[in-house]
Order: sequence, then C-alpha cells, then structure tokens
Amino acid sequence: MTDIVGVISEIVRLTLLFATPFLFASLGEVFAQRSGVLNLGVEGIMLMGAFFAIFVVSDKGLALSPWAGVLAALIVGGLMGLAMAFVSVTLQAQQGISGIGFTLFGQGMSSLLFKVLAGGVITVRGFQPITFPVLSGLPFFGTALFQHNILVYIAFALVPISVWVLNRTSFGLQVRAVGQNPAAADSVGVSVARVRYITVTLGGMMAGLAGASLSIAITNVFQENMTAGAGFIAVALVYFGAWSPWRVMGGALLFSAASILQNFVQIFNSLRGVTINIPPNLLIMVPYVLIIVVLIFARERKRVEPAALTKPFEREEG
Amino acid sequence: MRRQMLISLLIVALLVAALGSVSAQEPIKVGLILPSSGNDLAWSQSMYEGLLAVQEAMGGESALQITYIEGMFDVTAATEAMRDFGDEGYDLVIAHGAQYGTSLFELAPEYPETSFAWGTASDTGADRGITNVFAYGARAQEGGYVNGVMAGLLTKSNIIGIVGPVPAGDAILYNNGFVQGVNASNPDAEVLITYTGSFGDTAAAASAAQAHIAAGADILTGSAQQVPGAVEAIQSAKGYWFATDTNQAEVWPDTVVAAQVYNWQPVIQAMLDARASGVKGGIAFQPTLGDGALQMAFNEALEGVPAEVFEAGRAAMARIMAKEVYPLGTLPEEQFRIAIVMPSSITDLAWSQAIFSALLELQQQLGGPEKLEIAYTEGMFDVTAAAQALRDYAEDGYDLVIAHGTQYGTSLFELAQDYPETAFAWGTASETAENIFAYEANAEQGGYVNGVMAGLLTKSNVIGIVGPVPAGDALLYINGFQQGIKASNPDAEILLTYTGSFSDTAAAAEAAQTQIAAGADVLSGSAQQVIGAIEAIQAAGGYWFGTQSDQSGAWPQTVVASQVFNWTPVLGRMVELVATGVYGGEAYSLTFANGGLKIVYGGVDIPAEVIDAANAAIEAIKSGEIVVLQQLPE
Repeated sequence: MTDIVGVISEIVRLTLLFATPFLFASLGEVFAQRSGVLNLGVEGIMLMGAFFAIFVVSDKGLALSPWAGVLAALIVGGLMGLAMAFVSVTLQAQQGISGIGFTLFGQGMSSLLFKVLAGGVITVRGFQPITFPVLSGLPFFGTALFQHNILVYIAFALVPISVWVLNRTSFGLQVRAVGQNPAAADSVGVSVARVRYITVTLGGMMAGLAGASLSIAITNVFQENMTAGAGFIAVALVYFGAWSPWRVMGGALLFSAASILQNFVQIFNSLRGVTINIPPNLLIMVPYVLIIVVLIFARERKRVEPAALTKPFEREEG
Repeated sequence: MRRQMLISLLIVALLVAALGSVSAQEPIKVGLILPSSGNDLAWSQSMYEGLLAVQEAMGGESALQITYIEGMFDVTAATEAMRDFGDEGYDLVIAHGAQYGTSLFELAPEYPETSFAWGTASDTGADRGITNVFAYGARAQEGGYVNGVMAGLLTKSNIIGIVGPVPAGDAILYNNGFVQGVNASNPDAEVLITYTGSFGDTAAAASAAQAHIAAGADILTGSAQQVPGAVEAIQSAKGYWFATDTNQAEVWPDTVVAAQVYNWQPVIQAMLDARASGVKGGIAFQPTLGDGALQMAFNEALEGVPAEVFEAGRAAMARIMAKEVYPLGTLPEEQFRIAIVMPSSITDLAWSQAIFSALLELQQQLGGPEKLEIAYTEGMFDVTAAAQALRDYAEDGYDLVIAHGTQYGTSLFELAQDYPETAFAWGTASETAENIFAYEANAEQGGYVNGVMAGLLTKSNVIGIVGPVPAGDALLYINGFQQGIKASNPDAEILLTYTGSFSDTAAAAEAAQTQIAAGADVLSGSAQQVIGAIEAIQAAGGYWFGTQSDQSGAWPQTVVASQVFNWTPVLGRMVELVATGVYGGEAYSLTFANGGLKIVYGGVDIPAEVIDAANAAIEAIKSGEIVVLQQLPE
C-alpha cells in the first residue's frame, strides 16, 4: 500500500475491467429501449450466457477456445432475445412482467444446467490479459490501460460504434423513430416489428456476451446466480445514461469505480493503526445509492426518454 | 364354525401385526433446507454431504430418506417448506441457516413429533419450554486460527486479505480466528478485510480479491459460496488461498494450502441417536476442532509451501485441541484495555510473571498494543495501596481490571459494586460476582508430577521444600508435591520449611542451605523468593523443581522441570465475554486436562523412565484415575 501511484493505476485497471459486463449489457439494452422495448430479462440472459460460455470453454464441457465460448453466449443470448421479442412484440405482453419472467427463467435454467452438466463449480482458463509491446510497460498507464483482456477493449470500442450506428446509419434512424413514434415510422414504411425484433435480439446477444465476460474473462468461474443483480444494474445504467451510449459508459465507469473504491476503503480501514471504523455494510451500499441518487436528480431524463418505451405497437388498419 | 372364525381372526390379527412391524421400519425422513446450493463448495454443501454420509452409514434410502430444498434465500419460502415437512410427518427438519431461527421457533411447538435443528446457533429454546429443537454451530474461529498461523508464515509481502460475505455469523467467527492466527505467527503482517455484502456474488468476490491483490496481498482467504471468484483471482496472481467449510483444494489443488472442513455427519448422527432414545431436542452441538465434525485438510502436495508451514499448522491445531490456545470468536470492536495489579514483579519467574507473559501473548494474538492495552502495577505487597490502584484503574475506564492475588479480594468486592460497567477478575479464587471473574490454578496437579520425578531422582532419599506461607497457590503446590513423592518413593524423607515471606530471597537461601545440610539433594518451592534456594541447590550440585513459570532459564543444569501456568486461554475467554457484554460470573481453574498446566523441562539429562513416569502421572491426572488432594489429610 506504500506505492500510491501503483494503487491508483490498479484502481483504474479494475474499474475498467469490472465495468465491462455492465457496458456490454447496457449498450445492448440501449438499442432495445431506444426502439421502445424494456427488456428486464437481461439478468437471466447474462446468467445463461455466462454458463454456456464457460461450459463450452471448460474441460468439464467442450474444452473449446474462449472465442467459441463467446460465440455460444451470443447464440444463447440471441435466442433468448428473440424469444423476448416474440413475447413483447408479437404477443404484445406487458414488458416489465415478461422481462422478469425471462430473468427467473434464466436463473432457474442456468442453475439446473449447471447442476446437471457441471455438477459443481467450474473453472476455466479464459481470456488472458494482452501484453502490448512498450505500452504495457509504461508506468501507470501500462497497468491501468494496457494489460486488459480482449473483451474489455471490445466493450469500450462498442461505445463509439453504438453511437455511430444509432445516429449515423439508417438503421439507427429507424430504431429511434420506432421508439419515439412507431405510428409515424410505420406510416413511412418502416416495419416496427422487424426493427424491434432486431434490437431486442441484439440486446440479448449483448447480455449473453456480458455474462460470458463475467465467466470466462473476469472471474473464470461459474457459480449459481453469479450475476447477483448485475443485469438489473445494467438496465438502471441505461436510464442513468439517458439512453446515450457515452453517458451509459460514464455510468458503468462510475458504478464500477464506486464498487472498487469501496473495496479499497474497506482495505484501508482494516490496516493496522487505522482507527476509522466505517461499517462495511455502509460502504457496500455506496455504489447502489449513487445510482439511485443520480437517477432522482437526472431531470432531463423525461425529455429524452423514448416516447414509446414499454408500449407495444398495434398497427391501425386502414 | 366358531373355532374357524376364531382362527381366521387370529390370522388377520397376525397379518395386521406383521404389517404393523413392517411399517415401523419405515425410513427415517429428514428434510433439509439450504440457503444456497448443495454443491456451493461452502456452507450448504458441507451439510448436504454430511447428511449423505449419514444415509450411507445407515444403509441407504431404505433407512434414511432425504428431501432437500436448496437456494432458500427467502425466509418466508423456507418457513413454508418447514411447515410442509412438519405436515408430512418428517422426523428431523434441518434449517441450515441462522436466518431461519425465528420461524423455526414459531413452528416447532405445532409439530411436537418432529425434531427441528438449526445453525449457526446455540439456542434450543429450552428456556422457553421448547423441547424439539436442536442447535448446532461450529467453532469456526479454531480452523480460522490454524489457517491464519500458516498464512502468517507463508506470506512474503506481509499482506493477507480476507474476502468476507457479511460481517456476521459463521463468517465473522472464521475471520476473527484467522486474524488471531496471523497475529500469533507473524505480528508484522497486515490482514486486510473486505465484505461483499452478499453470499453468492462471485463477481463481487473477484473484484474484492483483485483489490486485495492490488494492495499487495499474496495470500487470501474467505468464506461463503461466492469465493470461487476470489480463489480464481489469487490463482492467476500466483498466490495462495486458505479455505473453510469444504476442502476447496479438490478444485484448486495448486492454490489452496489448507482448508477447515465441516463434517456434520457426527452431529446429525447424534441428533438421530437422541431421537431414537426419545430425546427430540434441547441439545446444542458445538463441534470443536479435531473432534470429527471440524477438521483440517492440509494440501501437502502443494509445491512451494515449506514443510515448516504445515508443521506450524499442525502444531497450532494440536495446541487448540489441548486448549492451550483460545481463539476468540468475538473480538472487541475497539481497543480493549486491561489493567492488572500484581504482588511481585513481572520478572519474578513465578506468580506475577506467569500472568504477565500470558497477557503479552494475548496482546500479540489480538494484534498488538493498538488492540489490547496492558497497564500494570507490580510489587503491590500493600493491600491498601493495591486497592487504591485498582480503584484508579476502574476510574480510568479500563475494560478489565485484574487483582492478581487472593489478598486483594475483600477490597475488590467493595470496589466492583461502584463500577458495574467494569469487569474485574481475581485469583487465586473461585468466588465470583456479577462483574467479577475468578481464577485459580490447580497447582497440586503439577506439584504431584514434580514430586513423582523428585522421588525417583533423589539419591540421598531426602527432599526439601522451601515454601513462603502455608496458604493459597503455594500450599496447593506443596501438598501435591508431597503426594507425588510418596507415590514414587514412599521411603523418601521430606523436609518442609516456610519462610513466612514471598520475597525474602535470603531467607529462602538460608532455608535451602539448612535442608542441604540435612542431606537433601532435590529441592522445590514456590513464590518469587525461590531464586535464593535455586542458587543454593545449584552450588550443592542438586536438582530443583519449579512452579508457576519456567525457571530453567538461568539454571538449565539444575532445574529439572517446572510446572508452568498458561493463563492465556482464561484471559482470552474473559476478553471475549466482556466484548459480548458479560462482565463476570465465571470461575476458571487451570488443570492438565484443560491445557492450563504444563510441565516444561530444563536442560538436565534425566533418565527416560523418569519422564515416562511423569507423563504417566499427567495422563492419569487428566483421566481422573489419580485425584491429587488439595489438602493433606491431618
């Protein structure tokens, strides 16, 4: 603990690392919500993605490469996203309730598969940190920025890509239109259902990837219900970030930094000779309280909220 | 006709009876409620496996039927499950979590035929008239201590991290024990503690572990089913992990050094045995380290861990089992302050030094002066001055004020009434009060063992005893010593002299020389005055037997053995009680059986059969085969 610069670089490194699953899941959710669908099934999809990814990679399972694990998570996540789209777009079910249904399904199913297929805790050698010539050896920045696994870089690269897709492509325009005014979009020939199917499936794939990043890049283990609410935090971060990928990234970093920092405060508290006694339970709450407080004070949220969010679209005939 | 009817009735009756006896052999039905999954590598798995082991031992499903419900984070749902088990006439319902207690006590009276069990807990509801509840809870601090001792020796960075779930229950016991173990083996090491606030958040455990590693930790430990995330993190960092609940070395053989393993089989078996004999509850099971339910698994195949580390782990375990070390389950939240008033000096090689060195050992165990402050006043022969010193300490707000002498008793009982929020302790004594602990050493036991050896070693058949005054601890020792001599050498002559003082070294020397002149070649005695006598017997080329502290240091070729008082566990127990709000009421005595007494040998080369005789005497005293009298018959 003597090297303060070293500790700060570690804090930055860990903040980026642990922001990764939130970033994947939240960016996917941005697309779904911008098109008007609230998907609360993220938590369950993440669990399924986490399990399938690790099972594909693990020696107890298929013993394939981590990339195959990512592919499996994308497929499983995409299938669950597709199912969610079917329920919320085609069947026009109440989105909040059906999303929770998907979460419960994912929790139960991943636990069941875990028990039947794995039988106990699985560990893998997942994505390893990449070493860049010169860069990784830099003081401070080397540790903070250039010793991450590939999924971390992909997650952050997806932020500008998402912005570009949403704001600069015709597909992005369709997504926004469908979320703001589906009737108008429909009247100019945009298929609301098709766009929403695509975004919700994409959101599912991203949630699956988020789960994979947890199981085969960050923790390298799978344990029942290991997401422990991360999926819901990801959804909250979308509101927090007012549906803008950049701001969502800010939210993910803020939440992750707060979690890491509270760990370091606990560590500092337990140092010999440090007599400040902050109860750990209080510190653990900090990141969550932070999210709630920001949500309360983010006044402009209502202004930018997709107008058709959570509202199923029914085409008026004639 | 009638006879035929009678016979057929008889056959029916026999059939019914036969069927009845078959139905009496129905399997015992056990319902198990687990907070997490049965393969969580932690708390729930330990119970599930224990139950499976009982089932196997009893002969499979036909003898014992297990129904388990896992993942019961929701207490309301767990209550429903308990009720269902009760309705279906289950014999034993195990609710494997402290959180289920409230509802369990509500339900238990409704199903008097069913036994309920819960843990971590010690409350069986017996004081509220509930008769069908068992409680169980392991002393997780004991295995935690063993792990901590090893971790303290193994760390290179001197930084060790704990990834805890919530600061409560089983986890806090384990963590407290671990910290004390590290303190005991490596006082320079820092133990960093974080809690994730969750039992199952693997990612949170991983991030906590990464933070520890970033802060320099090379060894981690932790509990609950979240830990796989942390173990993986320390494995990637090429560090080591110490486990609890289950043997996690099976999953991480290259990282897990040792594990405290819960084996609930004997506990469940004991519950079923109790039921078979008609007892449906009321027993609190508290497994301690090494008794079958709480074991250590050492991963000695692990490369890079020196053999000394495992040896130290085994030694710590042996010391805990012998009760020579007492890992506290509850630690004081703030700095704990102890004040002690002693009749002689802290270097008296006797009564005062014995307790002072115990205080220092406890101080190290708890983490140094920042955690345990020790204030002392030595050489307090004057009882009035001692009473004033005790009052000053109480006034200064010390948490525990110790009057280390029988003579201080009267004033202490007056004083204690004025300071009900202060804990007091005194000894040699057995009388307690609401806020007074009492302690004594069964010095006659070690006296006996010393006497056995003295009887065998004397060539002149004359043995001398230099006593201070015929009272208290000294008298117990001297009485025991004489009984020991008589047991091993009934013909030996015993010379007994009292100097009338505790501290008059010259008088002791004089008494010793008189005895030597009378033919004595082996001497013993008590109190801080004895150094004069030891010098005298050394000059005469004879042997000495000591008591209270190890006296061999300055006279290694003269002091054969010393009875050593180990006050550390007693002091630890008092600190633990005060930390939980109990200020007195318990009395302690040091015996061979409870680890409070020990024979420590000096540098004298003595025949093996003498040591064998001493060991046999110790074992006989422990088992109760030999009862050493405190008072000699007139």
